[in-house]
Formats: sequence, structure tokens, C-alpha cells
Amino acid sequence: MSQSAQPPISDRGLVAPVQEGTSARADEPRNYVGIVRAVVLVVLAAVALTTPGFLSQPSILSLLTTVSFIGCVAVGMTLITISGNIMSFALGALVGATAMVFILAANWGGFAFGLIAALAFAGLTNALQGFLIGWLRANPIIVSIAALALIYGVAEAFAAHGTIYAAAGANYGGFKGRVAGIPVEFAVFLCVTALAQFILSLTPFGRHLFLIGSSFRAAEAVGVRTWRAITGAYLWAGLFTAPAGIMLAIRYDAASMNYGIGYEYEAIAAVLVGGTVIKGGEGSVLRTLAGAIIIGVIQVVLVLQGLRTEWQYLIAGLIVLGVIALQTPGTRD
Amino acid sequence: MKRLLDDPHMRPLLILVACVAGLAFIDARDVLTLATAASSFETFATIGLVALGLGLTMMIREFDLSVVGMYSMAGCIAVVMGGTNAWLGVACALAAGLAGGLAQGWLIVRLRLGSVGVTLGGLLVLAGVAYVVTENRALPYENMEVALGLSAPIAGIFSIRSLVAIAVFAAAALVIGLTRYGRDIIAIGSDRRAAMTAGVNVNALVIGIFGFSGVCAALSGALLSYSLASASPAGLSDVIVPAAAAAILGGVSLAGGTGRPLGIAMGVLSLAVLRAGFNAVGAPPYVNEVAMGAILLIVAVLDGPYLTRRLHGLVRWRAH
Amino acid sequence: MDILTVEGLSKSFGGVRALRDVSLSLRAGEIRAICGENGAGKSTLVKSLMGIFTPDAGSITIDGVRQTMRGPQHAQALGLGLVAQELSLAPRLSVLDNIWLGSSEVPVFHRRRALRQRARNALETLGAGDWDLDIPASALSIGQQQLVEIARLLARNARLLILDEPTATLTDTEIARILDVLKTLKARGHAVLYISHRLGEVFDLCDTVTVLRNGEHVATRPVHDMTRERLIELMLGRPFGEMYPASAAGPDIGDALVADKLNVAGMVRDLSLVAPRGTILCIAGQIGSGANVVTRALAGLVPGATGRVSVDGKPLRLGSVPHCVERGVLFLSEDRAAEGIFHQRSVLENLLAGSFGAHTRFRMLDWLRLKRVGARLAQRVAVDQRRLAAAAGKLSGGNQQKLLFGRAIERPQPGVLLMNEPTRGIDVGARADIYRIMRELCSLGYALIMTTSDLEEVVGIADIVVTMYRGRTVARYERQSIAMARILADITHPVQAAA
Repeated sequence: MSQSAQPPISDRGLVAPVQEGTSARADEPRNYVGIVRAVVLVVLAAVALTTPGFLSQPSILSLLTTVSFIGCVAVGMTLITISGNIMSFALGALVGATAMVFILAANWGGFAFGLIAALAFAGLTNALQGFLIGWLRANPIIVSIAALALIYGVAEAFAAHGTIYAAAGANYGGFKGRVAGIPVEFAVFLCVTALAQFILSLTPFGRHLFLIGSSFRAAEAVGVRTWRAITGAYLWAGLFTAPAGIMLAIRYDAASMNYGIGYEYEAIAAVLVGGTVIKGGEGSVLRTLAGAIIIGVIQVVLVLQGLRTEWQYLIAGLIVLGVIALQTPGTRD
Repeated sequence: MKRLLDDPHMRPLLILVACVAGLAFIDARDVLTLATAASSFETFATIGLVALGLGLTMMIREFDLSVVGMYSMAGCIAVVMGGTNAWLGVACALAAGLAGGLAQGWLIVRLRLGSVGVTLGGLLVLAGVAYVVTENRALPYENMEVALGLSAPIAGIFSIRSLVAIAVFAAAALVIGLTRYGRDIIAIGSDRRAAMTAGVNVNALVIGIFGFSGVCAALSGALLSYSLASASPAGLSDVIVPAAAAAILGGVSLAGGTGRPLGIAMGVLSLAVLRAGFNAVGAPPYVNEVAMGAILLIVAVLDGPYLTRRLHGLVRWRAH
Repeated sequence: MDILTVEGLSKSFGGVRALRDVSLSLRAGEIRAICGENGAGKSTLVKSLMGIFTPDAGSITIDGVRQTMRGPQHAQALGLGLVAQELSLAPRLSVLDNIWLGSSEVPVFHRRRALRQRARNALETLGAGDWDLDIPASALSIGQQQLVEIARLLARNARLLILDEPTATLTDTEIARILDVLKTLKARGHAVLYISHRLGEVFDLCDTVTVLRNGEHVATRPVHDMTRERLIELMLGRPFGEMYPASAAGPDIGDALVADKLNVAGMVRDLSLVAPRGTILCIAGQIGSGANVVTRALAGLVPGATGRVSVDGKPLRLGSVPHCVERGVLFLSEDRAAEGIFHQRSVLENLLAGSFGAHTRFRMLDWLRLKRVGARLAQRVAVDQRRLAAAAGKLSGGNQQKLLFGRAIERPQPGVLLMNEPTRGIDVGARADIYRIMRELCSLGYALIMTTSDLEEVVGIADIVVTMYRGRTVARYERQSIAMARILADITHPVQAAA
């Protein structure tokens, strides 16, 4: 390299540009996985659209409603997964517990108070887990399993398998119908997704979650305040899970710990089917939205095609396994 | 004393002793009875093998989420196929467990996918199979002789189910302790890359361990369904919490390489003793859940890699 | 007959050609050095021989029979053995178990007396016959672990031993022992491939040397036909004076960082350091000297570090990375794969990793501004701007390292840049770029503190050299008084410790 006179720094790079390696393309050549994915989606859409009854209003509305509950939880789960903490086993229990807190608080102090109490409860419970995971680097799976046991245990202490009913005269009718043609629940789900997407793409906090998930040590070395970010991720995950519990309580005018059983499995399935990888560092809630809808569509189509319940479970499971198996090979370390 | 506490192989034993001692302190008369011991061993039989299989996958830094589904499915298969011949039912359940476990292991290894994703899919599929096999209803198991025989008390404390579980634990302990495979498994858990460079057949062992985990969950589920004389596709879904808790208490850490079958057995016993003990003193059922959750949380906190530095940081901050 | 013949071996990873048409052959009783810079292809060659990688082209012939290496166990069965740069002992297994780990000779019930005896014999050959075979490998020192790895090869009757940087982490006595052992093995007819940066050992121990550069075979010569300078030139591909841009001896603009009595338990003792602005200060020391820990401690990554550090006269709190970043003290890790680059994230995000908070409008990220700044940073460190959206993991090592430097530019105030092994694993072209980036940063007023185990680099680039041995400073040299021989002496066997 010559050492002759060089133009001032502002006019050029610090060094002359160097050729990148032999590959000129910025992205990897599209491999077969993307094609198979696209084909599967097209087939699914075709089957769905040609299934009699699918395009009917009641069917679509019911699909949108069912998707919303799991969907909210899945959005919360996405934040946890992106930050590299794999999943939380406690979100399903949180749904049930939040529903109970909502009913109890609303019975005592009115609807708005119930909302605030429920959100605060869900946020704090999760934030506590996030704090242990972020500040002490406690294992996220174990902490969430512990939280699961504690939430169920404490809830049982309060309600002993029972159901808590909304106070007589509580009128949640306004929240049970539709708004602008879509069910209220779905509207809430869309709002939750939009808020989460905003946080992830337009705030430094959101970017930090991606960095932490991609490489915790590199994030630390660069000065990211990791424990705050992880606590925040769990806090928001709790805040996004709460609407599921609240909406269920409104829908049935009652709350019990039976709500939310198994939701964490369906939620993480929606996250993975949407294309977010389990080890974190990348992903988006829009993908999770798509994943939740895909799973919902599969379930509705199976029902409408006349398959009995038991086959629905099996086939839905096979499809999820298939999608997961198709994730880019070598995404694990 | 601290050195004893730090020894990873002693810790499960100490925890077990602490549990027994703690309960005895509360109410020795009701707790230290044969009935409590028998009940503990029944719980041991129910959760133990699942914890062993899950624990082994954790030892190699994986996690088998599908144990829950395997448990259900095996119970249903055993009941459906074992109407006339109980052995046939068990054999079918074990075959299914082995096949399911090996298939998942293969997917994880060959496709280089994370175990959480694959076993999540496996869980859903296995649960689905349970529904299909039972046609979505709870099935009774007619063979009452087998049902009663499995749970009949032997020597006051044991039963066939718990003896089977103990036998499997003993076999696993022998394999891990005395054979080359056991040494290789510990090596894989402790540093997988080093093991691979040294020439260990990592892929085969990973697949094998998932197969074993499947068989363990299947055996457990089959025997439980027989002894309850019924199988339901939706039941038995709450095994993952006690199984993971037992493994963690037993010294297995998700960082891999630690934990032994004997430790896991003691972890399971600790939980079983707690459950039976709480029952014996008449505590309401939620006490067990809360206690288990609290113990798990404490262990998770104590094992947190940043614990010491955070504590030191707090001490220094207070000193200023 | 030759034990090993390699012909036309080639291997690529993605777009990167790690080995291009490499050929060599080795006889029994020959110790061959393999020399080359980081990224020259030495590790790839070795791993291909052991079957860890499958070559894209070429052949490997062992004892006259052409072989397709199926994996490490197969290679071992053929008489090859590798002690890799990263030790492959399972920390929780005993020494005995580690010696036999992965061998196909071991039966299912593996605690056999014959195997124990063979392990003990292997250790005796290495002068370690009195060791306890049952303690866990984690209880041994790095040097002792190295000997266990060699024992592993001997126990399995390896005839061709491949050692990849075996002495990088050893004390003097341990190094001497290893060299003696290798000479003994040579006398017994084993062949050795010895990969090392340590030219002193190469000249002391080896019969012949093969030089690789950029994946290609450059030369194979008997050692006694070579001089040290000639060897370095063959490795670098240029007279090494040209690689390092001259420093502009500018005016003294003040000290950026002053450290006093820096202490890290067991690693660094009472270290004091002054880093003036506009200079490159190199901390030279072997692995284990604590040099890497000093930079990490100054960067806030070592929680237990104590001492007084001030930046621009104001005290700097230790143990908090965000605090250091706020004060302009930035860190480049020696392990860019695990602690530097966010592989899945785009090049743009990698460049801006620490500064998202600085580019917001109404607390929201201003992506237009982020993209502009990113493009500018990419241009300044000579990374192709068209690749801003590509995942950083796909870039070459050199370009990734440049991204790390890109993070440090565009700070509101020129600060302190702490770097560990900044040119590790980077090809020659990119290295020259990085040295120029470093000089430019100096001219902007930064103070650069770096550690490196490459002494040529120390002599070439440093304005100030601080030598370290076993956690303490030995001496400090400035400009004219920097000399390779003195530095080498300081870091390997200092005559006296620092006052």
C-alpha cells in the first residue's frame, strides 16, 4: 500500500475500499426452505378458501376471536424469545391469574380499576421473573417453571379450584361485541401487536433486545444495560399477556385458573411457525401474528373438513412440527 | 460444611435430608409413618422416570419438552392395546416411546435444530396421537387384576411400580458410572465440542438419549394408566414441573455435565416426601405447589452465574 | 516412505477460500513446522487431516494408501493425532477418562487395568508418571492439560502428532519439557507437525518448515537454510516494515487515561499505566501474563477489579461497562465471534450497536439518520456500503473487525479505545487497513491501548510498549527503545520484576 499524499479525512474513508470476498451477493442464495414454505402457504390458502363454510362470516369471526387470546400471549412470548430467553412456561398460568385479579378488582372498584389492577399484576409478576433472569442470569426456563408453580399455588390458595364470578350488575356488554366489523378481541390483539412492533422497531430498548438475544456478551461489551432490557422484555410480555386474561374474564363474566391452560405451548408454537427462531436475536411480532393466524386457520379448516377433534390435534401438531423442522438448518449453535 | 454443600453430588442428598427433617420438625408423628413413605414411593414411581429421562437430556444441554405428551400417549396406547394382555400393552407403549424419542433425536441431530423447537413439535404430535388413539375420550382399563397388582404394597412401602422405577434408576446409574457411554455423556454435557474433537460419537449418543427419555416417559405413563385403571388423553399434563424440579434439585444444571441418576432419584424423593408429608400433616394441596415453586426459585437464584458479583457489588455500594 | 502425503488440498467456507491447492509430504522421524499468519489456513489444513472438515478437492495419503478421512476416530485409527489450539479436555472428567475419551479401543465397561497402565505409561514418557489419574481435568494447570492431551495421542499409538500452537499458554519450564518430549518422540520414529507463531521454538526444534499464506503453500525448506527475517517475509508476503504506517510524533495533547494500582485477584497486581492521547500503547505479554485482563478491567468488564483509574483527569468507576462507554472508554474483544459481532444482525446494526440511544427523535429511533450515519461509518472503515443490510456473520473476519472499529468512531469526543488482539485471524490485506484505521484514530486524538501476542506487531505498530509477566509490569519502552529482543526477554523470563 502506498504512503503517498492522501486527501483529507472528510473526503474519503479512512482507508481505500477493499474488495469483499469472492461472493458479490449481499444475501445467501435462496435455499429450498423458503420455496417449500411458500408452497405450503399457498396450499394452505387454497385448501382454506375452497373449504365450504370457511369464508362465511361466523366462521371468520370465530377464527379471529379464538386467535386473539393465544395471539396476545404469543406477542408477549415473542419478546422473551427474541431476547434469547427461549420461552416462559408461566404465561398460561398468568392468563388465568390475571383474569381472576381483574374480576376481583373490578368487583371491588369498577371496570377501570380492574383493568389497572390486572395489568399491574401481570406486569409486575413477569417483571420480577425478568429481574432475576436479567440481574442474576438465573436460568429462564427454570425461573418460569418456578413461577408457574407459584402462580398456580397462590391462586389455589385464594380460590381453591373455584371460579370467581363477576359481581351482579357488572356490565361488560360493550366489550363483547364488535368494533368496525371485527370482534373486539381481535381489535385488542391488533393493538397489542402494533404496540409491540413499535417497541421493537422504533425504540432503542427494542433494538437492545435483539442485540442481547444475538450475543449477550457482545451486548454487555458494547454497553447495553442488559438487566434493564431483560426485565423490560418480561414486563412488556406480562403487559401483553394480561389482555388475554382480561378478555376471557369479560367474555365469560367469570374467571378461573382453567383459563390459559396450555396457552404457553400454543403461543410458542405460533412464534416458531411465524418464523422467529428459538435461540433469539431475530424475529418480529408481525411474524407471530401470521403464525397465530396460520395455526388458527389450520384448526378451523380441519374442523370444517369434518375431521373429528382428535385428528385435528394430531394434524395441527404435525404441521407445526413440519414448520419447525423446516427452519433454516444450522440455526442452532 | 461449606465444602460438603458445594460438592454437587452431595447436594441432592442434603436437600432430601433437609426435606425430611423439616417435615418431621413440623409434625413428626404424622410424617414419619409407613403410610407417608409408601405414598412418597408412589409419587416416586409416577414422576421419577420422567425426571430421569428429562434430566439426562438436560445433562447434555438439551431439553425434552415432549415428555408430557409421551407420558399421555403411552398411557393411552397401553390401555388400548393391553386389554387382554398387559404385557402387550406395555410393549406397544415402550415401542412408541422409543420410536418417538429416536425420531426427535434424529431431527435434532441431522437437521441441527434446537431441541426446544423439535420437542415442542413432538409434544403436540404425541398429544395428538393420544387423542386419536383414544378417540377423544377417557378409556377405562378393564384388567383390574393388573391395576390392583401394580399398586399393591410390598414390604409396606414399595409396589411393583416403584420397584420398576428403582430398577431403571439403578440400571441408569450403573451405565453412567461404569460404562464408556456414561463417560461420553458426561463429556458431551461438559464440553460438546471437545468431546467431538476427541472422537466421541456425539450424534449417536444424543439420539440415544432422546430415545431413552421417550422410553422412560412411556414406561411411566403406561404403568400409571394401568394402576389408575384408566387413560385419558387430556390428563397427566402436569408432569413437567415436578420432573424439571426434581432434576434440578438432583443436581442437574442446564449448563450441562452435572447430575447423576442417583442425584435425580434423590431429587424426586425430596419432592415426593414433601408432597406426602404435606398431605400427612393435613396441609391444603396448594402448599405443595407453592413449596415446590419456592424451592425451584431458590435453586435458580443460587445457581445464577452473576449472583456473587452482584452481591459483592451491593456490599461495595453500601460501603461507600 | 512418507508417513503423510497431501496433494492439491482445497477447502472453502461460504465464499472464503481457506485452503488452495496445498501439497506437502512428511517422513517418519521428521518434525515439520507449519508457519503462517492468522488466517493462512494452518488450522483448516490440520482439521482436514483429522477428518473434522471434508476437503473440497485434493487427496490425503497415509503410509502410501490414499484415504478419505471420515472423522476424528478414523484419523486416530490411522495413526494421526491432534492437539488442537482449543484444548479438548472435558473439564469434569478425570485425567484417565480424558486420555481415553473417544477412543474406539475402549470397551463398554471402561475401567480396565490395562487401559490405566497404558495411560500411565504415556504420561511417564512425558515425565508426568507420578500424576494422579483420578482428579478432574479442571484441577490441572493449562500446561498440565496440554500434557494430558499429548498423552492421549501417545496412549492411542499415534505415529503422526499434530500440535497446533502448543506452547502459547505455557510457562518456560513447561515449554522446555514439551520440546524435550517431542525430541524424544522424534528419536522413536514419530513424525510431528508443529504449528506455531513462536519462531524461536521453530528454529530450536524443527527440521523443516512449510510456510502457508492466504491458504496457499508458499515454500517448504529445511530450517537450517532459513533465517528468521526470511521466514517472516515469506509469511507476510512483504518486507514487514511496510505493513505498519509510521506514527506522526505529534504534540503532547495530554493523557487520556491514567491507571494506578490496578488489581485483579490472581491475575493483575498493582499495575500502573499512563496512556497519552494520540498514541498507541501496546501491552505485551504471553497468555497468562494478565495483559488481556488489564484492558478488560479498564473497560469495566471485570467485576472484581480494584484500583484508581481516571480519564481526562476525572475518576472512572470500574466494573460498569455502561459507565465506561459514557466516558468514551470503548472495548474491542479478542473474541469477536462471541463478544464482538452480532452475527444475525445487519452490518448497519453492528456499526451502531452501542449508539442507538444517540439517534432518536422524540425518544423514537430516527431510522433515516441511523442509515445515514451507518453509511458514513461503513465508508470510513472501508466496508462496502451495499452490504449494510447483510447479516454481519457473513462478512470475512477482517471486515467484521473493521465493523468493531466503526463503532468507536463518530463519538462526540475522542476517547480511549481498548483492544485485545485486534488483528487475530485476519488476512494481510485487512490487517494493513486496520493499522491505518488505528493511526487515523490517533490523529483524531484517541488514545489506543492494545494487547497482542504477536511480537512483530508490537514492534511494528506501538509508540509505547509496556511489558507484563505474571500479572506485573516489567518495563516500559518508548519509541526508539522498543526492541524485539528486550520485549521477548521481559515477557518470557524477566531478570527483575517491576519496582
